[in-house]
Amino acid sequence: MSQKYYEFFCPVKVIAGKAALEHIPYELTGLAAKRPMIVTDKGVRAAGLLDPVIAACEESGLEIVSIYDDVPPDSSTSVVRDIAGVYRQEKCDAIIAVGGGSAIDTGKAVNILVSEGGDDIAKYSGAGILKHPLKPFFVVPTTAGTGSEVTAVAVITDEKKGVKLPFTSSFLLPNAAIIDPRMTLTLPPHITAATAMDAMTHATEAFTCMAKNPLSDAYATAAIKKISGSLLNVMDNPKDAEGRLELAQASTMAGIAFSNSMVGLVHSLGHATGAICHLPHGLCMSLYLPYVLEYNLESIREPLGELLLYLEGPEVYSATPAARRAEATISAIRKLRDQLYKRCQLPRTLKETGKVQESQLDHIAEMALDDGSIMFNPKEVTLEDARAVLRRAWA
Amino acid sequence: MLLKRIQPMVFQARRLYVDIMFQVMGRALQAVSEVDETVQNEARALPKGLLFEMMVMPEGPRLIVEHIGDGYFHYHGQSAPRPVDLSIQFKHIAHAFLVLSFQEKTSEAFANDRMLVDGDVSYAVRMTRVLNRLETFILPKLIAQRAVKEYPANLHLPEKLISAARIYLKVATNFVETVRP
Ligand SMILES: NC(=O)c1ccc[n+]([C@@H]2O[C@H](COP(=O)([O-])OP(=O)(O)OC[C@H]3O[C@@H](n4cnc5c(N)ncnc54)[C@H](O)[C@@H]3O)[C@@H](O)[C@H]2O)c1
Ligand SMILES: [Fe+2]
Repeated sequence: MSQKYYEFFCPVKVIAGKAALEHIPYELTGLAAKRPMIVTDKGVRAAGLLDPVIAACEESGLEIVSIYDDVPPDSSTSVVRDIAGVYRQEKCDAIIAVGGGSAIDTGKAVNILVSEGGDDIAKYSGAGILKHPLKPFFVVPTTAGTGSEVTAVAVITDEKKGVKLPFTSSFLLPNAAIIDPRMTLTLPPHITAATAMDAMTHATEAFTCMAKNPLSDAYATAAIKKISGSLLNVMDNPKDAEGRLELAQASTMAGIAFSNSMVGLVHSLGHATGAICHLPHGLCMSLYLPYVLEYNLESIREPLGELLLYLEGPEVYSATPAARRAEATISAIRKLRDQLYKRCQLPRTLKETGKVQESQLDHIAEMALDDGSIMFNPKEVTLEDARAVLRRAWA
Repeated sequence: MLLKRIQPMVFQARRLYVDIMFQVMGRALQAVSEVDETVQNEARALPKGLLFEMMVMPEGPRLIVEHIGDGYFHYHGQSAPRPVDLSIQFKHIAHAFLVLSFQEKTSEAFANDRMLVDGDVSYAVRMTRVLNRLETFILPKLIAQRAVKEYPANLHLPEKLISAARIYLKVATNFVETVRP
């Protein structure tokens, strides 16, 4: 009998590629939805990204009844309550989240309130609280990083208590994720780089952490191949629709991988740093990735070495002796970070961000030790270990 | 034929074993928190009065401990004086058995979706570290390495506790050897 056990789940319909947005009306109608609401943020709207979505719906005689475009970067319980209020007032019957992780997480939380009732989203925080499917929900990602369109999680800040509330339920998953290359063409270089490194980290951690399994492995390696093949091209040529679609698909694939195998210490440190220093999530991922891989090295030598094939291709892989592949993988990731620094000054160390004080490192370490994802890191992390990784990532 | 006759006995023995192991762990949690600084430091970050439960779904064996403050745990046996704050729930007795007979690490069991957390995840992360530490106390090094991710270098063992717990371990090992399919 094999000692290995795993679960894998991804019921999200993926609608990807050219003219994907134009499938939205058909999908909505299929669920008897007639009055959709769009949830988005100001940046996405200003980039003109709502226009093709609205046009696609109107051409099919489907009216977007309401647009909420005031989602903040760290969405809060009061924002969620306000949007739910608008949804009810306008008698909407479906939600379309258009945006990055912030708009998507907000859309998930709004869907809980409008489906389950009430004004207090905090009541539904935790795992397994929801017992019924929610209202029709569609996601149009405009960043290529978080993979939120395929994860069963949302994080919302409770302003009054000053804590982040996690929501976990497979009912949060959208009915479909619509991945259209038009939606990421306008992404500024800095956000393109940071969010792609978020996806890269999802795939790398999925492939090296404790809950890895054959199915998540397949998604993770394919995602890494797409990111390493396209990211620098897209940085040099932001309007490269082909490359943009590759990154968007990679992000979704990495999302499928990590939501089934979890992430580890890079995310524990990143969540803590985000909360204390208010750095964007993707940037934190890019910062910590090589240092955490070095820390985990002896526990993950074999899988990490395999990733060289997807990062550098078959020639480099076969020319590198098996015993040195894990180190070569880390070098490849460092090289990619250097290239990103050259193109958009994406910081590589905490010091380079200019937003972190050395005196904050201890606080970050302590907070990281309480983060749920530390449980799936292949090495047991002590406070001293976390401090040591942070010191190496400092400068 | 033979299988049909033996199966119920195995089920019963497994339940009994999980039951006993929960009792051992409950007492050991309390004992370790009285002597071990590492455990105390972990526990100190938990709210005073926090009730922690480990149980088998749906209504199986359970163990309940309370953080009575300053890093100390108190073992409450099977029943809680009030609703628990943090619950780690095994989906099936078979999964509890895998973990409590040290065939699967606690963190592995989480990774393998064998159990659920109901309550604040950051507290669950802490309790997992406490349980890991506990296992390294109770188990001889060889088995402990299987049960936890890393075997700590700095163990100063309270001998009395260990010898008591290891008696159960012997039972456990024999039992695993007998029923392993
Ligand atoms: N639910 C999950 O599984 C999960 C996973 C990781 C992160 N998250 C959450 O996601 C959030 C981060 O998401 P993100 O990295 O996608 O960033 P984001 O959604 O916060 O967007 C970042 C900025 O980019 C702008 N933007 C987005 N798309 C654009 C486009 N195509 N063109 C121009 N500008 C655009 C937005 O207006 C915003 O100002 C965090 O709040 C994090 O908590 C959730
Ligand atoms: Fe992430």
